[in-house]
Amino acid sequence: MNEFNEHILNQNRRKFLTRLSLGVGGLALGSLLIPGLFEGKKEEELFTGVLPHFAPKAKRIIYLFQNGAPSQLELFDYKPLLQKMQGEELPESIRMGQRLTGMTSNQAKFPLAGSKFSFAQYGNNGAWFSEILPHLAGLSDELCIVKSMFTEAINHDPALTFFQTGAQVGNRPSMGSWLSYGLGSENKNLPAFCVLLSKGKGNGQGVYSKLWSNGFLDSIHQGVQFSSGEEPVKYLTDPEFINRTDRRAMLDEISALNNEAYKNIGDPEIVTKIQQYELAYRMQMAVPEITSLQNEPESIIKMYGADCLVPGTYAANCLLARKLSENGVRFVQLYHQGWDTHGNLPKEIEGQCKDVDQSSAALIKDLKQRGLLDETLVIWGGEFGRTNYCQGKLTPDNYGRDHHPRCFTIFMAGGGTKPGVFGETDDFGYNITKLPVHVHDFQATVMHLMGIDHEKFTFKNQGRRYRLTDVSGKVIPDLIA
Amino acid sequence: MMSEKKIYQILDWCLWILNPLLIVLAIFSNKIQPGLFLQWMGKFHPLALHFPIVFGILISIYFLFFQNKRIPVETEKLLLATNALFASVVAVFGILLSLQNFYDGEIIIWHKWGGVAIAILSWLFIYILNFKINFKRILAILFLIVLIGSTHKGAQITHGVNALSFPESANPASEVANTEDSTATIYQLGVAPILNQKCISCHGIDKSKANLQLHTPESILKGSENGDILKSSLKGESVFHKRIHLPMEDEEHMPPDGKLQLTPDELRILTLWIKSGSNFEQRLGGLAKDDSLYLLVNKYQAAANQKASLNFNLPGLEEFNSNYCSVNYLFNGSDEVEVNFFQGANYNRENLKKLEKIKSSIVSLNMQGMPLTKDDIDIVLQFSNLRKVNLNSTGLEIGSLERLKSLTKLKSVSISGIDFDETEFDKFLDGAKFTAVNVWSQKAGKKQLEKVIAKYPDIKIIVGDNLDDEVMKISNPTIAQDSTVFSGRLNVKLKHLLKGTVIKYTTDGSEPDSLKSSEYTNSIILTENTVLKIKAYKPGWISSDVVQRTFYKSGIQPDTIYLITDPHPKYQNDGAKTLINFQLGESNTSNGEWLAYRDYNMEFVAGFNQQKPLKSVTINAFTDIGAYIFPIKSITAEGSNDGKNFENIAKVDFPDGKESDPRGAGSFSCNFPAGTSYRYFKFTVTNLKKLPPWHRGKGEPAWIFVDELFLN
Repeated sequence: MNEFNEHILNQNRRKFLTRLSLGVGGLALGSLLIPGLFEGKKEEELFTGVLPHFAPKAKRIIYLFQNGAPSQLELFDYKPLLQKMQGEELPESIRMGQRLTGMTSNQAKFPLAGSKFSFAQYGNNGAWFSEILPHLAGLSDELCIVKSMFTEAINHDPALTFFQTGAQVGNRPSMGSWLSYGLGSENKNLPAFCVLLSKGKGNGQGVYSKLWSNGFLDSIHQGVQFSSGEEPVKYLTDPEFINRTDRRAMLDEISALNNEAYKNIGDPEIVTKIQQYELAYRMQMAVPEITSLQNEPESIIKMYGADCLVPGTYAANCLLARKLSENGVRFVQLYHQGWDTHGNLPKEIEGQCKDVDQSSAALIKDLKQRGLLDETLVIWGGEFGRTNYCQGKLTPDNYGRDHHPRCFTIFMAGGGTKPGVFGETDDFGYNITKLPVHVHDFQATVMHLMGIDHEKFTFKNQGRRYRLTDVSGKVIPDLIA
Repeated sequence: MMSEKKIYQILDWCLWILNPLLIVLAIFSNKIQPGLFLQWMGKFHPLALHFPIVFGILISIYFLFFQNKRIPVETEKLLLATNALFASVVAVFGILLSLQNFYDGEIIIWHKWGGVAIAILSWLFIYILNFKINFKRILAILFLIVLIGSTHKGAQITHGVNALSFPESANPASEVANTEDSTATIYQLGVAPILNQKCISCHGIDKSKANLQLHTPESILKGSENGDILKSSLKGESVFHKRIHLPMEDEEHMPPDGKLQLTPDELRILTLWIKSGSNFEQRLGGLAKDDSLYLLVNKYQAAANQKASLNFNLPGLEEFNSNYCSVNYLFNGSDEVEVNFFQGANYNRENLKKLEKIKSSIVSLNMQGMPLTKDDIDIVLQFSNLRKVNLNSTGLEIGSLERLKSLTKLKSVSISGIDFDETEFDKFLDGAKFTAVNVWSQKAGKKQLEKVIAKYPDIKIIVGDNLDDEVMKISNPTIAQDSTVFSGRLNVKLKHLLKGTVIKYTTDGSEPDSLKSSEYTNSIILTENTVLKIKAYKPGWISSDVVQRTFYKSGIQPDTIYLITDPHPKYQNDGAKTLINFQLGESNTSNGEWLAYRDYNMEFVAGFNQQKPLKSVTINAFTDIGAYIFPIKSITAEGSNDGKNFENIAKVDFPDGKESDPRGAGSFSCNFPAGTSYRYFKFTVTNLKKLPPWHRGKGEPAWIFVDELFLN
């Protein structure tokens, strides 16, 4: 190559050959690392594979999300040292520079507060439960209690978003949407992802539809929020003079028009709309059977407690969740607000427990006696824990706790989890001493129980592949039976 | 024709591309999966290898003995480059070939790296042309050693007859006999397929090593050039038996090192066959069902058949799926199927019957809530591999479920919601091979079933509670209508979520009583202002709270209405119109339906176009003691015919608010004497001017909240 050309192209034989050999070697390397690179398979199939990747243990999930962050020190994590050191200052050696929220950063002192409630051990694995959770304590041998959860987020919105979507920034698909996208609904007549809300009397933090958003996935995967009143799904019945055949004919016409629009415009939301109309049509038949309590045996009602007859309460939602789940809904999520006990903790948390204790235990028992517990994964927990020091004025009867991300407790039941107590925190209830489980680890484990490899299950958006566990997370084998 | 230089350049580039690729492929051989085309190219290795071998030898001889009669350097380089290129290509082909045939063992590794070394050394020759002669000679000798070594290894891995034909699919389709054919012999089903796959390539028609052919019974019996192979010799074992049982390292081990080896099962089949006399006629069906050879051959056949179909060609399940029945494989790659039925009201037995097509693949069946009969169970009994079944709430009799015990693989059974008593339960469990049973029966509680459960310690039985001892409070009945104001008459409908609840009601303001009050049937008809109180009762439950609602009959509408005094700015809403808009404020005082007064009385006028006889006025007002909202203190009514001069009609005072007054709306009425008839009516509604001492706002004026006016 003469010098002129060489200069123009910035190329000479040496460079060309080096690059070429690197390139071809690279191709060879590529095909090794990504088997089938040269096979011409569709790209998503290559990375995602067909789901489930391996035999699932759980087929459905019921996630009882306790919104506001329940205090683990009042419920599951017994720390008598705090009572002994009541009122003393939190040692710096324990705190180790953990950041504080804006609510307690102005406090001059951080007095340790012991729990007002007494604890006892239950079941074969000797799990500790406080006196305000009698029903759950009775089920101790079914529960897989993880005491060493931790997160980085310290306030509600980032923490909630982190738990549901795997990242503190928003606009990503939530766990339920991922599962709806990957596994779909077992029952074509119901959505794959349903959300039920209830409010406790304690200090409530908001929940909002970002938490069950479909993010960048198709909008058919958004969580379907049921209404908290007597009619969980409004406008279910056809208007007075329209019968089902008319309805069908109408929907067919609308669908034809929508299809034309889609051909012209190509907006994928149109397709979602068509699908949602169809789903709504099928739900008209399916939902009344599910939301009616008429055929529910009395002993079931009694097991869940009086509240379950009042629509919109946590107990009623638990019962509805069981019915949705046993009818094939892949992911049912409940939110119960009111656990954010910055002040007035003893009174508020007792009220919250009265709301949830009996019905959460009843849900697990109900699934068990129907033979559904080993294929349904039940999760109970909040978005972070609470501090061992008191927020506000510490009195013998009253105290509050601020947010604490470094350790908190959640529990799971059924769905292939191993019953027992896992992980440990230090005597101050501040740091984790054994088996730290990060939110991503938790998500990876849940995915694993559903038969999905969390690293392989991805979706490409804006040039990058996303997954629920974002960039970290490993399955915790200790938690799996 | 291109110049020599140009050709050399091209060759040089190709070498620079190929050789790094070769090294990468050699290192990562076990991670590569070549597609069919590359597999085919691999087969050209034994064809093409001759060129670099011969030429390499010639080059070595040239370097050793003919350095005094050298040809021009350019020509040397050209020829060396050509040779090197061939060597590299041959080496790449060799690697591709090795992957195709699952070759194992040391020989392959030596041969592979030897081949790579040949390629590299051939390439290296180009660059040492100007080095000292002795160096070139040493390299040539080294090259020869490597060449002879590798090719010797290669010769040991000789191929069979299928040298250059396009590869067939993985399953040698030759005589895979039908296991169901009762005349099939052990030889046909178990021995021949193994020999065909693993031995024929060297001991067959086209190639008969040691003059031994194994493709027909006759040829096997004929034996090798050394004699019979099946008969036991003086040593006690036949040659055949000896050879396949030799350790791998032994040279005489068959199949030879580097070829496909016998699996343990295959080895056992051949051994058992030889030991039982190498019989070519004995039928498989003639063996006992628990005979090892019988079991092994069946297993081998099953695996062979499966391989043919499991090649990513599992039958699609679309035809079985519908809106009410979902049928899936357990996971990607599994051949086991799970079935779920939904929506009992739409259950169709045809959907179940369709599944007979895949009856032995179904391992899990969920029919919870489906209305089933004996006929459905008949179909279920065909699912021979069923492991888990859910028949909760299917309305079956436990007697009809006993036949489930015939499904040998069935381990987990859920029958909650199917009623039975202790004896029926015992009969159901007797002789069952289940490991887990979930039940809940209204007829029998945990305590009663305990004795039965104790009889079957191997079965994990979970019994749901009947909770007969628990007495709970029933939830409140609800009123279907939202409206509280009506004109004419109103049909009030009540409802309750639980079946079998009785709702008692009163309309006279008294508390409902379970014995004396009227029972709600399908509606309550109201014609005037009524305070409706309702309460729910059910046997076995504590009665509910009382639910109360006041219904107002809309009064006569005035033609005009205006306020004389303005309400508090925060609660002005629609002004006077709020009082006659048929909307009651409900318990949310800031919802836009209330007018509130505090610092002065409420005064307003309601007028008609003509004189109107009225009997009374009723005002709906709110009470919330804690929020400083007290009941109305008094209503004064005055009448006028010209709108300016008013005469007194009536005044009524109301009792003061007490601390215990419940929060809520109430009606305050003032009756007029008979014959009252005016065009304009002026009303003064007063509030309590000073809050009582027991109130925390003592001394301050109280609020009044008014939302609706009724004139009758």
